[in-house]
Amino acid sequence: MKISNKISALLLLVFIILFSIMTLFESKSEKYVNENRQPAEFPEITWENFLDGNFGKQLTVCTADHFAFRDKWIAASARLESGICESIINDVYISENRLLSADVSARGSTENSAQAVNEFVKNYDGAVYFVAVPTSSGVYGNMLPAYLLKSTEKQQIDSLYSNLDSDIRKIDAYNILKMLSNNYIYYRSDSKWTSYGAFCVYRTVIQKLGFMPASYDKYTIEHITDSYMGNLYSKTHYMESKPDLLDIYEYSGGAEIIDCKGYDNNGMMYRKSLYDREAVESDDMYSLYLGEELPLIRIQTNINNNKKLLVIGDDYASCFIPFLTQHYNEIAFISPDCMEKDLNKFLNPDDYEQLLFLFGIDSLDDDIFSYMR
Amino acid sequence: MTYSSLLFIYGFFPLSLAVYFITPKKLKDISLFLLSIVFCGFFSLKFLFFMLIYTVVNYTSARLTYKLKWKESKYGKFSSIPFAIGIIFNIISLLSFRMEMLAWIHKPFGFSEGFFPFGISLFTLSATGYLIDVYKGRIRAEINFIRLGLFIMMFTRLLMCPVVSYDNFLKICRKRKVRLSELGTGMEFFVKGLVKKIIVADTLFMLYSVIKSIDVRNLPVLTAWLGAVAYILCIYFTLSGISDMGIGISYCFGFRFPQSFNYPLFSSRIRHFSAKWHIQIIQWFRKYAVHPLHSVINSKYINGFTAVCVWTLLGFLYTFNLNGIIWGFLMGLAIIIEGKLKNIRMLKSTGIIYTFVVITILTVFLSCENISESFNYLRAMIGGNKVIVDSLTAYFLKSYIIILLVAIYTSTDLLRNMTARISRTRFRFITAVFSPIVTIILFAVCTALISYTGSSENILIQL
Repeated sequence: MKISNKISALLLLVFIILFSIMTLFESKSEKYVNENRQPAEFPEITWENFLDGNFGKQLTVCTADHFAFRDKWIAASARLESGICESIINDVYISENRLLSADVSARGSTENSAQAVNEFVKNYDGAVYFVAVPTSSGVYGNMLPAYLLKSTEKQQIDSLYSNLDSDIRKIDAYNILKMLSNNYIYYRSDSKWTSYGAFCVYRTVIQKLGFMPASYDKYTIEHITDSYMGNLYSKTHYMESKPDLLDIYEYSGGAEIIDCKGYDNNGMMYRKSLYDREAVESDDMYSLYLGEELPLIRIQTNINNNKKLLVIGDDYASCFIPFLTQHYNEIAFISPDCMEKDLNKFLNPDDYEQLLFLFGIDSLDDDIFSYMR
Repeated sequence: MTYSSLLFIYGFFPLSLAVYFITPKKLKDISLFLLSIVFCGFFSLKFLFFMLIYTVVNYTSARLTYKLKWKESKYGKFSSIPFAIGIIFNIISLLSFRMEMLAWIHKPFGFSEGFFPFGISLFTLSATGYLIDVYKGRIRAEINFIRLGLFIMMFTRLLMCPVVSYDNFLKICRKRKVRLSELGTGMEFFVKGLVKKIIVADTLFMLYSVIKSIDVRNLPVLTAWLGAVAYILCIYFTLSGISDMGIGISYCFGFRFPQSFNYPLFSSRIRHFSAKWHIQIIQWFRKYAVHPLHSVINSKYINGFTAVCVWTLLGFLYTFNLNGIIWGFLMGLAIIIEGKLKNIRMLKSTGIIYTFVVITILTVFLSCENISESFNYLRAMIGGNKVIVDSLTAYFLKSYIIILLVAIYTSTDLLRNMTARISRTRFRFITAVFSPIVTIILFAVCTALISYTGSSENILIQL
C-alpha cells in the first residue's frame, strides 16, 4: 500500500503543480465576451480590501476566471453534472434541443426601471412606445422544470406595463412570440431572439408607429454564419448544443442607408454600418448587428419623409433596428447600458417625434436608466 | 478561501507544502504558524486580528491560572479569576458571533455585518477544554506561544477541525512525520473529502434547496421524504467532507488527527449512530460538560441523562436556536427509548432501516427554521397534503437517483470493507493500481465541477 500511496502523492502533486504553473502563465486575454462580463482582474492591494476580506474573495474569482483550460473544464463539468443531477448547469437548463436560462433569481422587480421611464417621459413631448421582449426562457418556459415557474416573465412584463404611465403605448411582444414559438424565433444557445423573431414583432410595432410593415417576401435572407454560440453556451460549454445561424435581412429595392455613425462617451465618432460582417470572425459574433456597442448610433436614410425616431434599447434592439430603417429618415439608437454620462449630453430627445423603448425583460431589473434622469 | 476552492488547491496548498518542506526541522512550527496567519489573512485581516487576540487571551489566561494555582500556592485561591475570564471570553465570543440577538456585543469592535470567524464553535471547544485541563491540573500551561497558536488557529484544522484535547495534540505533534507516503495518504484523504463535498454534498444540496423552496402545504409525501433524505445525506457529506479535507491536509504536514465520522448513517442502532457521529465533539461534551454533573445524578439514570444532555448540547452547537435543541433532545430521547426496547427481536433484521428512518424524521427539526415549519413538514411526510406523488417527484427521482444511490452506498462502510478485504488477498495489486488512478480521476472531476465558480461554499451548518 505504501507504494501506491507514493504514486498517488506524486501523481497529484504533478497534476496540481502543472495546472498552477499553467494558470500562472495563462495569457490574460479578454476571452469570454459572450458571458456579458470581463474576466476578473487581479484584486487591488489596498488596506481596506485586506481588512474586509474582499481581497481573498476577488482572488478566488480571479483564479477561477484565469484557470488554465477554463473552457475545457467547464465543458467537462457540464457533461458530468448533466449525468449526476438535473440538467441545470451554472443556471442554464439543458433541454433536448435548446439551452434556457434557469436563473429565476434574475427575475427581480422592474419597478425602478418603470419609475425612471415614467420620469423621463414626463419631460418629453412626442409619442412613446414600449416593447418588453421576453427571453427564450419566457417563451419556452414550459420546458423548464415546474418549480422554476413561480414567477414567469409574462407576469414580470405585465407588472412592468402596469407600472408604466398610461401615456406610454405598450406593445405586447410576448403573445406574438409565444404564438410563433414553433418557428426559429430564438437562438438555441442564446437567450435572445433571432432576426426572424425580431421581424415578427417588427410587423406589429411598425403598425403602432403608423406605417405599413414590409412584407416578408421582399427580403432576401443571407446566412452569415452557422456556427454562432450564444451567451448560454458560454456559461455551460455544453458540447452537444447545436450552433445557431446569424442572418441578415436585406430589403431589395428599399431605402438606402446614407450615413451611419456611432459616438462613444467622449464624443468620438466612428463610421458604422448596419452590419459588421467582420465580427463573425471575432470572438463576439453577435456584434454583427450594428457592430461594437456604443452609447449612441445615428442612422440616416434616403427616405424623405422627415420622420425621426429615437430608440432606447439593448441587445434585442440591435437586430431590430435594420427593419425600422425602411420607414424613417433618421433613427438614433441609445444603449443606456454603455452610457457613462447624461442622455442630454448625447442628443436632445425632443428633436425626435417618436420614442421607442425596446428591451429584453432580463435587463430591466437592474438600474440601467441611471443616466436618463 | 475554503479548502474546496481552486485558489486553495492550486495556490495556497502547494505553496505552503513547499515552504513547510524547505524549512529546517526546528523552524517548522514557526513556518506553519506563519502560514496559518497568511491563511487567516486571506479570509480578512479582521479575522486574523480576532484569531490572534483570541489566542493571546487564552494563552495569558492559562499561564496566569497555572502560575497562581500550581506555582505560587499562597495566591491559589485567586487562580479562578484568570480562569473564569478566559472561559467567559471564549463563551461570549462564541455566542456573540453565532447568535444574532447577541450580535451587539461584537458590533462596537468594528466587525461588520457579514463577518463570521470560521470554525469558531470548534476552536472554542478546543480552547475551553485546554483551559479546564490547565485549571484541573491535568496538563501544564503551554509556555511556547506558537504551539498554542497552532493548537487554536492552525490552518489545516481551522475550518472543521477534529476537537482533540491539548495533551493529545502535543502527542500528535511529537509523533509527526513528514514523508512521501504520509503525503500520499493525506492527499488521498483530502481528495475523499473533496469528493464528498463537491460531488455528493453540493449536488444533494441542490435537490434539498429546490424541495425546500416548494410550498410545504403542496408537498407530496414522496417529495417530502426525498427532501428529508437529501438533507440528512447532505449534512453528513458536508460535515464529514470538510473534516476529511482538513484531516487530509494535516496528514500531508505530518499530523495524524483522528476521524470525526465513522460511517454513522447506516448503523443498526441509534446508539451506534450516536457513537459514530461527530465523535470528538460528543466526547468533548461528555468529558467537560456532562461528567461534572454525574455526582448529582442517580447512577441508574446516568447513561440516559448523558445521552440527552450531550445530544441537546450538540444540537444547540449546530444551530444556536430552539430547533437544534429540540432535535438534540429528541435524539437523546430516542437513544433512551431504544435502550428500553433492546430485547425486541424485530430490530435485529431491520435495524439499519429503522435507525435511518428515525434519524431522518428527527432531523427534520434540524433542517427547519422553527417548530411550526418542522411540524408542517412532518405533516407532509405522513401524507397530510393527501398527495403521494406528482410529476415533479418523478422529475427529481429521475434526475437525482444516481447521486442518491451513490451517496447511500458510500455512506455505508461497504466500500471500505471491500477494499480492505481485497488488499488482504493476493489480488492486492488491484487496489494498489487502481487507487492512484481513481484518486486522480476524482480529483480532476472535482476541479471541473468548481471550475466555473472557483469554489464550493454551500454549508448547511456554519460551525
